[in-house]
Amino acid sequence: MTDMVVEVMSLVKQYGSLRAVDDVSFELYDGEVFAFLGPNGAGKTTTVEILECIRPLTSGAAKVFGYDVTKRDDVKEIKKRIGVLPQDFSALDKLTVKENIDLIGGMYEKKLDTSEVIKLLDLEDKTKEKFENLSGGLKQRVGVAAALVNDPELVFLDEPTTGLDPKARREVWSVIENLKKLGKTVFLTTHYMEEAQMLADRIAVINKGKIAVIGSTQDLISKYGGRKVLVIRRGGKKLADTLQDMYGSTLLNHGGDVIMKVDDVNEMWRALSTLTDMKMDKEIEIQTPTIEDVFLKVVGGRITEEGELK
Amino acid sequence: MKRPIIIFTAVTKNWMRSRSGLFFSIMFPVMLLLVFGAIFGGGGGGSASTLFVQNLDRNSDGTTTQLSSAFVEALNSTKTFAIKDVPADVDAKVWARDNLGPLGGNIRIVMISKGFQGDVLNGTLKVRVGISYSLLNTTYQYFARSLNETEKMAYEQGLAQMQLYNETLPDTRTSLTLAFDASDQSAAVTKNIVISVANAFNYHLIGATSVIEFKEESVTSKRFGAVDYYLPGIIAAFIMTNGIIALTSNTTEFKRRGIIKRLSITPLTKFDWIIGNVLSQTLLSLMLTAIMIVVGWIVFSVQVIPDVLSILMIFLGSVMFSGLGMVLGGLVKDVEAASALGNAIAFPMMFLSGTYFPMEFMPSYLQSFSRVLPLFYFSEGLRYALIYRYTEGVFTNMAVVSALAVAFIILGSVVTRWKEK
Repeated sequence: MTDMVVEVMSLVKQYGSLRAVDDVSFELYDGEVFAFLGPNGAGKTTTVEILECIRPLTSGAAKVFGYDVTKRDDVKEIKKRIGVLPQDFSALDKLTVKENIDLIGGMYEKKLDTSEVIKLLDLEDKTKEKFENLSGGLKQRVGVAAALVNDPELVFLDEPTTGLDPKARREVWSVIENLKKLGKTVFLTTHYMEEAQMLADRIAVINKGKIAVIGSTQDLISKYGGRKVLVIRRGGKKLADTLQDMYGSTLLNHGGDVIMKVDDVNEMWRALSTLTDMKMDKEIEIQTPTIEDVFLKVVGGRITEEGELK
Repeated sequence: MKRPIIIFTAVTKNWMRSRSGLFFSIMFPVMLLLVFGAIFGGGGGGSASTLFVQNLDRNSDGTTTQLSSAFVEALNSTKTFAIKDVPADVDAKVWARDNLGPLGGNIRIVMISKGFQGDVLNGTLKVRVGISYSLLNTTYQYFARSLNETEKMAYEQGLAQMQLYNETLPDTRTSLTLAFDASDQSAAVTKNIVISVANAFNYHLIGATSVIEFKEESVTSKRFGAVDYYLPGIIAAFIMTNGIIALTSNTTEFKRRGIIKRLSITPLTKFDWIIGNVLSQTLLSLMLTAIMIVVGWIVFSVQVIPDVLSILMIFLGSVMFSGLGMVLGGLVKDVEAASALGNAIAFPMMFLSGTYFPMEFMPSYLQSFSRVLPLFYFSEGLRYALIYRYTEGVFTNMAVVSALAVAFIILGSVVTRWKEK
């Protein structure tokens, strides 16, 4: 992960009085999966579309493979080397899966064999199926296939699982994991915490046009995720008081569960030993912090299923 | 040229597999041709319109008089009317309304007044005596010089007696009444037929014959039927609606669904996109023309056969309206607005450009307005090419259509957004 694929410096996109992207800077490196995580309207798609050369920037600079997204000749080079799954991907309804992939592929001088891409996306059974007859998950897979047909080095996946049911979402995740195995650099935008955490090497949390934090997934969790939590289901007040006296940072929730925050693994082992000594037969759960905790910490809210900040 | 061809192939396939697209682009125009052909084709077999006749001219035994019956028979012989007799003792208007039948229709009543036969006979005798007097008087004036005084006196005496007799004859004119609804647009046709029958009846009674012979000839070398004349107009109108309404709606729909945005991320240029779509529409137009002509040939025996000029005209017209469709598609954001705008432009143009009925029917200010509409030039050019083979007329209209085609394609390229804001 040494070669820089994307370089964004102080990027600004202004719509009248609204600053959709506000002084954003980041880099993307060869072979990594990079996620832009943020609620709707955070500036994710705007940033990505500037990098895809279909939206002009207001100020700052953006380079893809060292080419400037604002220069006409550079744009031609960039377009040859990127693949895109746009938000709410759609295709010609009456064309088959193969025909739609061929349509996109036909626009490039250099392209992969369509059947190869179809095989890669496990769409062989659906080759002759019309696009309009496909499920949401399959449509997204066709979108990814179309994004890969020119054998791009960098793939933009803009909200690839929005609106999909859990099964279809997992299908798309599997596809993205395969892209990583193929050595593609992936720029993923999402408002799903779990998706970002599961797939991304690095995450930038973006809100109101600004990047709140950026870093590797583990670093962000370590730095902003807070402490691990030991939950003793229906432990009761007596146990809560005991643990509070011994370790501190313990409380009792409304359901009678004892919640204990631990600083490190040693403290957790000690607490578990104490519980063993007390011959507790309650259900114990160890909760580690997630990107959601990071988001809560740096943005001060959560993102709903629909992508709204709450 | 590779990319426009790929776009052309894709959008054409997409359209050909769409049942609604095929219906509105091909089937609907064919259905309209069949309807137009059936109405105006003159193929016969049309049902006669109802004409109520109340004959009040009766003999003492209640039977109708000989002359009034003959007049009704003359009306019947035109085979234009299904005559329904109205009893003499009823209010004809009320009776006709009550006897229209379950499907209704227009009420047209011819009322023959009482004394019709007597008035006609008296009137005819007076006319005949008048004609005889006039003839004898003219003859007398011509030969008077060669007559002696006795002969002159006898002649003049005879003429005077004849004139006196004519003056004693009552100056009667009988009347026919035609009653109809003022909103009945085709009552004028009924009126003209009734007047023609009455005139023929008059001529026959006074023993006159028409001295002016009426002949009909075609201005074209081939003998074309009515459908031949409608066909270029219908083809032109539907090439226009396919370009303006269908292409505008499709473009807006592709835009709404992000398909254009997806393509814009590839090396495809917006000019490639426009050319691909225009080519697809042109193929559709040529297919539509071929199907319309084949259907017209099979069903109505139309004679029009497209030559190189008419095919070129269809190509240019299609490019022009596809270009206009791309302009509108580039300007409008949502599908509903695109459909409304397309209809708002296409329908007035369809009826004001002389495609379905002659422009002479329109007031002069509307005729002037028609001459700024693109369909007028396309329709005229196509009619000149297909029917009149009037090359100069084709080229004039073709020049206007070509200029507009280029202008619309350029404007379409300008307004089609290939980049987000």
